[in-house]
Amino acid sequence: MKKMYRAAAVVASFALALSIAGCAPNANSNSGSNGGDTGDSSAASQSLTLAYSEGGKTLNPAEANDGTSDTLVLAAYDQLVTYGTKEQDGKRVSDTATIVPMIASEWSVDDTNTVYTFTIREDITFHSGKTLTKTDVVRSFQHIADSSSASFLYGMAGISTVEEGEGNTVIITLTAPNHLFLQILPMYSFSMLDMDEVEKNGGAEWLSTNTAGSGPYIINSWDPATEAKLTRNEDYWGDEPQIDTINMKFIGDASNRLQLLKKDSVDVALEIAPKDLQGLDGTNGITVDSRPSNKILFFAMNNNVAPFDNEKVRQAITYAIPYDKLLTDVMKGEASPMRSSVASSTPGFTDAGNNATYDLDKAKQLLAEAGYADGFTFDFTLGSGFSDWNDDAVLIQAELAKIGVTMNIQNMARAQFLEALAGKNVQAYISRWTSFVNDPGYHLGLLMTDNGTSNYMNYHNAEVNELWAAAATEPDADKRSEMYGKMQEIINTESPWAYLYEYNIAVAHSDDIAGYTSYPDGLIRFFQLSITE
Amino acid sequence: MRTVLRRIAAMIPTLLGVIVLIFLITRVLPGDPARTLAGENAADSVVDKLREDMGLNKPLWQQFFDYCAGLFQGDLGFAWHTGRPVAEDFATRFPATVELALAALLIGILIGIPLGILGAMYRGRLADHVARVVALVGASMPLFWLGLLVISLFYGTLGWAPAPIGRIDDSMNPPTTITGLYVIDSILTGDMAALGSVLAHLFWPAMVLSVGAIAIISRMTRSAMLEVLGQDYIRTAQAKGMGPGKVIGGHALKNAAPSIVTIVGLELGQLLGGAVITETIFSWPGVGNYVVQSINATDYAPVQAMTLLAAVIYLVVNLLVDVSQGIFDPKVRNA
Repeated sequence: MKKMYRAAAVVASFALALSIAGCAPNANSNSGSNGGDTGDSSAASQSLTLAYSEGGKTLNPAEANDGTSDTLVLAAYDQLVTYGTKEQDGKRVSDTATIVPMIASEWSVDDTNTVYTFTIREDITFHSGKTLTKTDVVRSFQHIADSSSASFLYGMAGISTVEEGEGNTVIITLTAPNHLFLQILPMYSFSMLDMDEVEKNGGAEWLSTNTAGSGPYIINSWDPATEAKLTRNEDYWGDEPQIDTINMKFIGDASNRLQLLKKDSVDVALEIAPKDLQGLDGTNGITVDSRPSNKILFFAMNNNVAPFDNEKVRQAITYAIPYDKLLTDVMKGEASPMRSSVASSTPGFTDAGNNATYDLDKAKQLLAEAGYADGFTFDFTLGSGFSDWNDDAVLIQAELAKIGVTMNIQNMARAQFLEALAGKNVQAYISRWTSFVNDPGYHLGLLMTDNGTSNYMNYHNAEVNELWAAAATEPDADKRSEMYGKMQEIINTESPWAYLYEYNIAVAHSDDIAGYTSYPDGLIRFFQLSITE
Repeated sequence: MRTVLRRIAAMIPTLLGVIVLIFLITRVLPGDPARTLAGENAADSVVDKLREDMGLNKPLWQQFFDYCAGLFQGDLGFAWHTGRPVAEDFATRFPATVELALAALLIGILIGIPLGILGAMYRGRLADHVARVVALVGASMPLFWLGLLVISLFYGTLGWAPAPIGRIDDSMNPPTTITGLYVIDSILTGDMAALGSVLAHLFWPAMVLSVGAIAIISRMTRSAMLEVLGQDYIRTAQAKGMGPGKVIGGHALKNAAPSIVTIVGLELGQLLGGAVITETIFSWPGVGNYVVQSINATDYAPVQAMTLLAAVIYLVVNLLVDVSQGIFDPKVRNA
């Protein structure tokens, strides 16, 4: 009897499932043909598939802070102004010192250098169909000021008030003259949003998985676990984007991204390991576009902790770093020498005061002068997650051993490492840095001044602090550049860091893709790309 | 029936223990989630603001209370590293993992059990040695290496396998969601185009994932069969002139079934957890992949939810295995 019941239940549940199925539409009803949406049939349409390592965290422009999220934001949103571009060695690169119009067609600044008046274009519509107005701009700035992440940049730009002006203008008043202001505005964080749409959907929370922009692409779907699909905004106010559909694939494994590119399953692969890039260029119709970036790697020594509180000891270390080996053996040529605390592509870069070369005799001599003729032992903290850091640390350890210095490598998980850094007690560590705002003031202010929030090695020099404060409000670009040069010289001499290298950003793509332009943030702007046949 | 209810009631303290333990363990883990989320370039003000948003500035007991209160309302928390509720993330990813684990288990059963039977029947002969080597290789093969090898060979060189991304071809729409398991959904909707693509995508990662299961199932089947084959009633059956097929299938296998079912049940739990590496290598959008990312991001909620879910699955599978023993063995039925 019991068995009968069980059988009946099974039959009933199966019948139920079938009846539900009967109502459900079949997603690929034209069985046989592929019911996809890539539209290979029409010759005019161009589509592009890119392999990213991560799927991103949020679509909210003011909260995004990882490469994939930022890329999606730049595709879906416009900013008030943007960076210019220029040709350099036959490649298109950004010209971050030149700011060009975007949503604002023009702007002016008053005599005090604190009141900026932006004229807003009147022909821009959001994806929702609503026309972009000065009210949206003002409210977008409020959204940024209220955010967790970008509010920091808002403060750094020195914005005091944002108000609607006469006609179609927006007036932004700064607390003091600030040359960083215009350089920060083109960042993805300062995207202009359709705030009516945001409000209608319950506020900022909604923005983390939806967009309300006016940008060149519309994000149709986004699943951080698998992929994002974008289509061209057919009503875009600016130059029409060439490619009409973009598929971003999120592939965690680097060797798989490479395989997919080789097999032509994707058109562009990012974040390929330097060793895999060797020999890839020119094979199978693949181009490797590897360019210097302003992403730097440095070996930081804690100025508050012995023996690195001694300048001579720090200098000795800079002479014991095997610079060439790091570039060739670890980075396989996918990096270039770093000669100052700012990247060499930063305006105002100078390597004055930096004499460090690989010279063990000089290192020994400096150690003897510092009273450490017999060497010393120190703890080095290695954050996990980047294989090159690991290789660098081992090579440096071997060289330091030759001058009698014992470097104990302590491995730490990345989360733990970041927390330890924030405590400012780590004796020595390797870390990387990318200044999205390509300006020495931004860079040095965060890393090398007393108030710098990322000055984890406790570097302190009163003159550097004063120069930085003076440069921040100096309107004359040449005078400013001089001050930043002087700061770099002091830092180069005092050596709170040993400079390891400047990373290349390498994008491997099939030969027929054109228009790729590199930016300091390393992000790809899809609207610049096209496919040549 | 009463036994089953008693067993279910006994799960409650276990689950409570799991909840308290995992909450404490994630809190004791080094690393500040807000700092990790904000990244190394972030200012302290940003980190503080995030910490406040995440509720990490509250005292521990209050965080625990909030977490438990959320659990009772079916709220598994918020996954900061994806910017979505954990339950939502699980809903899209869990079916993928279940499908992969079930497929691997099926392969494990289809290959492992016959292999084990062969080994027992021809003990000490060639077939037994072959089965032993297969099991040894399967048990000792590092999954990530095998996965990369399979991709490189069958996708890269031979071109038999589809691109190792996702569960279905890019050009294809996923089948209409009914169960979330693509194979079943495409059969139910009669979507043969999708079915072909889904099976092609499922086959390779499932094969890779199943190697461990094949090894364990075949070894356990072999020893269970050997034990049974030495019993008097087998000799009696053979003496009566019963054919080897009937002896093995009718008598031996039926008596060895309880041990085999136990190991298969335990293996399902293993597979659900072990999918992590396979999912990462094949870009399979399941929970394994997701939990690894959560751990890297010190994102508490998804890790807690996954642990809780794993505990529930383990308990349920255990219960099912125990109950199923009754089907084979009348002595257990009323115990």
